Amino acid sequence: MSDEIAFLDACETAARIASKDVSAVEVTETAIRRAEALQPSLNAFISLEADAALEAAAAVDREIASGNDTGSLAGVPLAHKDMYYREGKVTTCGSKIRADFVADRTSTALAKLDEAGAIYLGGLNMSEFAVGPIGNNVHYGDCRNPWNTDHAPGGSSSGSGATVAARIVYGALGSDTGGSIRIPSGMSGVVGFKPTQNRVSRYGLMPLSFSFDCGGPLTRTVRDAARIMDLIAGHDPKDKTSSRLPVEAYEAACGASVEGLRIGIPSTYYYDDMNPDVEALVEAAQQVLADSGAILVEADVPDHEDMNLIWASALASEAASIHRKWLVERPQDYGDMVRRRIEFGLYQPATRYIEALTMRDTFLRDYCATAFRDCDVLLVPTMPITAPRLADVDVGGSEDMPAVVLRISKNTRPISYLGLPALSVPCGFTSSGLPTAFQLIGRPFDEATLCKVGHAYQQATTWHSCVPDIAQ
Amino acid sequence: MRSITGDFVAKLATICHRLTLPEEDCETLADMLLPMDEAGERVAKHLEFDMEPADFDAAMEDLAPRRTFE
Repeated sequence: MSDEIAFLDACETAARIASKDVSAVEVTETAIRRAEALQPSLNAFISLEADAALEAAAAVDREIASGNDTGSLAGVPLAHKDMYYREGKVTTCGSKIRADFVADRTSTALAKLDEAGAIYLGGLNMSEFAVGPIGNNVHYGDCRNPWNTDHAPGGSSSGSGATVAARIVYGALGSDTGGSIRIPSGMSGVVGFKPTQNRVSRYGLMPLSFSFDCGGPLTRTVRDAARIMDLIAGHDPKDKTSSRLPVEAYEAACGASVEGLRIGIPSTYYYDDMNPDVEALVEAAQQVLADSGAILVEADVPDHEDMNLIWASALASEAASIHRKWLVERPQDYGDMVRRRIEFGLYQPATRYIEALTMRDTFLRDYCATAFRDCDVLLVPTMPITAPRLADVDVGGSEDMPAVVLRISKNTRPISYLGLPALSVPCGFTSSGLPTAFQLIGRPFDEATLCKVGHAYQQATTWHSCVPDIAQ
Repeated sequence: MRSITGDFVAKLATICHRLTLPEEDCETLADMLLPMDEAGERVAKHLEFDMEPADFDAAMEDLAPRRTFE
């Protein structure tokens, strides 16, 4: 067969497999062939589990042939950031230190996708220990942006964005602590969904920061992301911090009208200091939603400066506590940028850390009362810029590093501190041919409204169907 | 006078973590820490006696759309 099946989305592919229009084995063979063909250009995989994937696909085909119920992603190949543990398998976390780490458990998110019949294709490249918005990796080589391989794919879920954009897999899990799902999805032209804090179980997910880590999907469409979220969201007895609040039906929310829904456009911060191409594309996206019946309103947002700084302080404190043993015993085994970003957490007073967490309640209530006073969701650029050239941002641990990191993650960090859900949706290409995206931000646990708005936008546009030349 | 300097970081590294860092690293770390410390000082003024980090979890549920409880 041709690679035609590779260009469908996950929901459509699952439907074709279920109706025996195509077999799970054929779909998986195509995905493996594309993964192998594109690996020299993209370096998106750390491990490719071809044999196991084909065995799992054959099992799905047998179930379908027997007329048994299969799950909502039966036979659909996925791959995940190499920090989701799978029992008995090496999970590198993109690091030298964990290069031989064999997981003793399977993450709840992976287990739920397995139950739904998804095919696991392998572990994906990522920033070392999920630290860094660029997506480079000194240990496994840099992952590359499918739209231009000289450019950064975005991190830290770099391989997740690249493999979905290059039509290798139909979806990938990433993790987001300050933008690590939204930034690579934005730079690679795919959908990225950071759920509300504690909406998705963190059991079996490598920790970077207990307070801010969120697992979530990167996909080709909002509907695909909603389907994955329907599977992985919810309370998990193995993760005591996961929320017991009921989970809404996210895929069902796709298709609901946005007529009369109020979309807030912040007048400060998020639209400051933008690339003009990005600004024009995001403004065009606002108009698309207005033409679909949504009402655009101006929104005030509180000042973000202190919130951003204390987020960084708390994140580093938690990361340093997790990494302290290795920072002391094996500092040379970290990349310079990663070690520097973690180690400054060693030098902060415990009181500063606790203050940063304690103030989260105040900042969240203030933000929601102000920003959502007159609207249901906010629409802001995911990033003020497009994917930078790797050579321009690979600054190691130098004094330029903080500025590079802060510029890329300017619009994603505050939302992580606040724990709010955010959905990044591709919205066109700049004159240099690089993707741009906007980010929908919702109230706590209001993922369903984000799905509704994001899906409505994709029903009115075709950006999500664009495929990089390298993947044609 | 700067509150956090490279010398200060070097002492903390040695005393608290048994680490010896190059002087240049200590200066870079001090530059990173300073704005966070200043922000922490500004934010701390808003703390009340009986506030605690777990209040955030309650706030998340308080602020969720009411339909999620139906």
